[in-house]
Formats: sequence, structure tokens, C-alpha cells
Amino acid sequence: MNDTEFQAMRQAVIDGDADAAEAAAKAAIAAGIPPLTAIDEGFMVGMKEVGAGFAAGDLFLPDMMLAARAMQRALGVLEPELKASAIERTVAGRVVIGTVAGDIHEIGKNLVGMLLSTSGFEVHDLGVNVAPERFVAATREHRADIVGLSALLTTTMTGQRTVIAALTEAGLRPPVKVMVGGAPVTGSWANEIGADGYSEDAMGAVELAKRLMGAKDRAGAAGAVGTAAEGAAR
Amino acid sequence: MPRETPRETPRETPRWDRLDPATAARLEEAAVGILARTGVQIPVPEALALLRDAGAAVDGSRARIPERLVLWALDTAPKEIVLHDRTGQPALRLAGRNHFFGTGSDCLNVLDHRTGERRRATTADLREGLALADALPNIDFVMSMFLPADVDQTLADRYQAAELLARTRKPIVLVTYDLAGMLDGLEMAEIVAGGRAAHAERPQLGVYINVTRGLLFNEDSVRKLLVCAERGVPALWIPVTSGGTTGPITLAGTIAINSAGILAGVVIAQLAREGAPVVVPAFGGDSLDLRTMVDPYAGPEPKGVAASLAHRWGLPMFSLGAGSDSKTVDEQSAAEAGMTMLADALAGGHLIHDCGYLESGLTGSLVQLAICDELAGWINALVRPVDVSDEALALDLVEAHGVDGSYLETDHTFTHYRERWYPTLIDRRGYEGWRAGGATTMAQRAADRVEELLASHTPTPLPPDVESVVRAVVERVQAAAGL
Repeated sequence: MNDTEFQAMRQAVIDGDADAAEAAAKAAIAAGIPPLTAIDEGFMVGMKEVGAGFAAGDLFLPDMMLAARAMQRALGVLEPELKASAIERTVAGRVVIGTVAGDIHEIGKNLVGMLLSTSGFEVHDLGVNVAPERFVAATREHRADIVGLSALLTTTMTGQRTVIAALTEAGLRPPVKVMVGGAPVTGSWANEIGADGYSEDAMGAVELAKRLMGAKDRAGAAGAVGTAAEGAAR
Repeated sequence: MPRETPRETPRETPRWDRLDPATAARLEEAAVGILARTGVQIPVPEALALLRDAGAAVDGSRARIPERLVLWALDTAPKEIVLHDRTGQPALRLAGRNHFFGTGSDCLNVLDHRTGERRRATTADLREGLALADALPNIDFVMSMFLPADVDQTLADRYQAAELLARTRKPIVLVTYDLAGMLDGLEMAEIVAGGRAAHAERPQLGVYINVTRGLLFNEDSVRKLLVCAERGVPALWIPVTSGGTTGPITLAGTIAINSAGILAGVVIAQLAREGAPVVVPAFGGDSLDLRTMVDPYAGPEPKGVAASLAHRWGLPMFSLGAGSDSKTVDEQSAAEAGMTMLADALAGGHLIHDCGYLESGLTGSLVQLAICDELAGWINALVRPVDVSDEALALDLVEAHGVDGSYLETDHTFTHYRERWYPTLIDRRGYEGWRAGGATTMAQRAADRVEELLASHTPTPLPPDVESVVRAVVERVQAAAGL
């Protein structure tokens, strides 16, 4: 494996340079590097570094957004190659997110969706002012592992409790996990309403989602027959 | 204390203007242009009808407002609003280069100075906070300070309104969730004032209206504005544009959008009723901190910009000074409060709120409020005009004294020494005296002062018959909510 090429992939993401990312992705293909390897050992490495810098307060949100854009451009080149070789990129998990009914705030939710997506999750963003029934329907339709609920107002955050109840009633939960967030949301609120987790910020939300997926996998593996998923990792 | 004439800081003292006339003109031109070209989205048919009838171009719920309407509205809007105390005496004249300091509202948390704990605020904290605000000499108006967690959250604003009216006689700025909350709050204020007409004539209460974006008005905000206009209640029309998210990242772009929203509100209010009292924001232009995603309260760049424009338009204004982004009472919280309060006062910011705010508005602190009170006193002394009367110059005394001798024992000194400014929390002892006194920090002294004031000051209660009618409003609302 050619180190320079992986360096170029990583750096394109760190620099937030979508053109360079596209070029590096094409160069990887031309060099015969398997697309999944390019993603996991090239571009994602850069993405993780940017994520760490942001979490440390050294980088700015626009730096993350530019990195995410570069990542998307690289994926645009590499994902068709994956399909062509019939390899499925293992998504880290499937997530449905939205802002609860009566609430139109979205910026935090959008940020979480973007970070989840660039961390390898498949994200379905339902937008704002989402009724509980829509959360339930989307969870079913997309076979979501996690539902993320955002609320910015003390007067709308009770909607998070309502969605949790609706998912339970619909028989989707368990195993679906619910995470909550938004300015007035706290850990004790999350516990009170029976959510599976809470994060104060977007980076924490990604870590939480990974943890929740880890818990699900352990729970699933406990009773499951061996699946191809473990084999597809490399 | 009842006063005969409104308390005001003298206007002769030169003030600071952040904008030179050309810059101010360009920002105004930009705002007016946005209103005419892009317009505002108003989901309230009554407001759209007013605008349409006045010649604005209305397309669905988008209204494009021509410059001549803006100029007319600025001409028509009152250039001064007088807030009164609970006894109906004039207290604060919002005009000219006056400035007054007040608390903030709705902190979710309190930094408990007795335990050091940051915890959810309760009704007990609300009551203590209001009693303290009532006691502090340099706090001129009061907002709710805390959002109590131990009451039904959909009715919390009614409890806040009742407590505000009961626990202070100072002017009040009331924040409510929705139109129903505002109507209940106004009902209570009108009861206390002795009727709707009495409150309209001598308002103790101004209504804070939160407008979610500069060009997109939430339905509630417009409905509140229309009711206030109709009743002659001072309406604080406060759009908020956040640079980088709901407005351009640049200061000028954010100000242009927010100013457009401000002007649109003034137009709607004047169309609803000519002479409707409107208070506009003297803050705005900040951007989200793009490293932490926090909306900062104490950044330097936007200070004085919106105030300068509000002065240009001659409108009563509402400033945001004193809030700190610090999580605790410390050097940062004192520095941020001091600098922002000073900037807003020098800008002539009329109502300057958020004394006592920490953590970008999420946590309130009684100790920080006491520190802000001290800083307010310092600032008020700073802007007092210099007395150059014969008595002050004391030239006869100088002549009689000659070139030496002590002034300490003169009658003139005995007569006037208490006129110099003396601090309450700021410490000026010599080192040994300070050590003997416990080697205290300002925060420690402020905490002691908070305890002293809470122990010694009882806010004047409402007359029992008035108090029971106010309580009946709260009980009625509770019953309607099935509580």
C-alpha cells in the first residue's frame, strides 16, 4: 500500500478540499486500492482527526463542514466502485433524527446528522415539527437502529417522552434505541423519560450513537447465528 | 421608593457612538433595502392586511415593505416611554442617552452560593432573586431571573408574572411563552395598576416579545405585538439574528437583517395603532461561537452598533449588557459584566438587562447580581456631570486657604464629603485591614451582602385584596389546565 496516496486522502479531508478529495479517490482507484480500504484507512482517518480537533475546541464548525464535504465528494467516487464489486459498506448504524412536534429549531439537529453521516451512519433526517407517528413510520421504513430527538424549548421537550411511548407501543422499542438532545435537555431528563442516552453536544452524540450500536451488537450477537457482517469488516 | 419625576441619568455628559454617520446610514439603507426587496414572512393575516392596506406588496405571507412606510412609522412611533413603579409613580424615562440596569429572565439553573452547586432553579430561588433585585439600589427594573422547575412548565410564566408583581415595586419587563401567557400576565398587571386604562397611562410592565428570526416572524410574536399596540402596552419587539446561522457571518450582514426585522415590527405596530409604544433591541450582530456552538453574551464586536441605530431612529431601546459567558463567578464574569455594562451605558442604551446572568444565560447567580449592582453604581457615578458651581469650585475657600493648610477640618469638607462615590463591595482597605477582615474576595463579600439584604429586606407586599385577585387569575389558569 502506497503511503503517499493514503496521506493525500487524509490531508484532503483535513484541508476541507473537495477537489483534492475527489482526485485522491480517483487516484486510489487507479492505484488498485480497494475502495473500502481507501475509505477506512484514508479519508476516515482525516475525518476522525478533524473531529478530534473540533471536540478539543481547536477547530471551527465550518472546518468540520468543509471536511464533511470533502468526505462526501470522495464517497461519491468510491461508493459506485463498492457497488460494482458488490461490497456493502457496513454502515455504523441506521439513524432517524428529527425535531419534535411544535418545535422548529434545527441547527443542532442538522449538525448531529452531518457528523453521524460522516462517521459512517446512515442518517434519515425528518426535519422539524415532526409528529410522533412520523417518527414511528420512518423508524419502521428505514429499519432504524437509533432514533434521535431534538427539542430546544422547555415547552416542547415533553414531546420526546411522547415519541418514546409511541415507539414502545408500536413494538419497535426495544430494540430501537432513543437518544435525546437540545439546550434544555439534561441527563436527568433523559433518565426520567426512559431515553437510552443524552448528549450535550454533537460530537458527544456521535460517541453516544457508537456506544448504543455497540450495546445493540452485543445484545444481537448473544442470541444470533453468525452473520456475514463480521466477515465483511476487512 | 416613589419618586415625583422619572429618574434619569443626565444627558449632558458626552457619550460614545460606535458608528460614524456614514456607517450608520449604510446599515440603515441596507436594512430598508432588505425590507423592500426580500421582505418579511408574517403568518398572521391581520398584520398582512394592515400592511397591504398601507401599500406594502403582500404575496401570500410575504410582505415587502416600502421605504416610505418605514419612514412614516419612525416618525409616528413614540420617542419616549416612561415606565412606572407599582404605585404609579414615573420611574424610568426611556429616551435620550438615559440608561438603566435590570436583571435577566428565565435562567434554567442557579449557581447556589450557599452550596456551590449548579442546580435547577426553583420557586424559592425565584422569590429570593426578585427580593434581592428589589433591594439592590442600582437595579432599576426587574425581570423574572429564574424559570422555576418545580411548577408546571406550561404555566411557569404565569407564576413568574404573579411573583414579579408581588415581590417588587420596580418596573418590570415580562417574558411569556405564548399569547395566552402574555394576556394572563397583562391581566395581573392591570389588576395591580387599578385597571386597564390605569396601566396604559402609567405602565409598570413592558412585554418582551421574542421574535425567532429577523425576517421570519413566529405567529405568537406578531399576535403579541398587535395586542400590545391596541392596549398601549410597551412592547419590546426583539428579533434575534445569529451570524453564521440565521444571518450572514459578518457583523454588518447580521445587523442589516436584524434591523430589517426591527423596522418591520415598528411599522406593524404603528399601523395597528398610531403611537403604539415600541422598544427596539439595542443589541444584535453577534455570531454563534463556531468552536463551541454557544451563543455568546459578552462579545465585544457588536457592542453599540444596534444602539447607535436605535438612537438614529429616536426609538426607546432595550440593551443586553451584564451577561457573562463564564460558568462561575470569577474574573471572567466580573470583567465581562463590567465591560458590557459600561459599553451599553456609554451608548445610552436605555434598558440594559441581564445583570446576574452567567453561562450565556443558562445559569443565574445572586452573587453575580450583587456584583453587577456594584458595577452599575460605579458606572452611574462615571456619567454624572461634573458640578462646577461656585460651591463646588470653592474658590473663596481656596483664596482664604492660600497655598498650604489642611482642608480636612473645614466646614466645606464636612458638608460635602458624602457626595463623593463610595463602593460597597469594592475593597479599598490597607493590606492589614483587609487581612484582618478575612482576606476576602469580591465574590465572598458579594455573597455576604446577598445574605444581609435577603435577611433585612422585605419587599412591600401587595394589598391583600389586590393580591387575592391576582392569585385568582393564576388559580383560574391552573384549573383550566386541569391542575
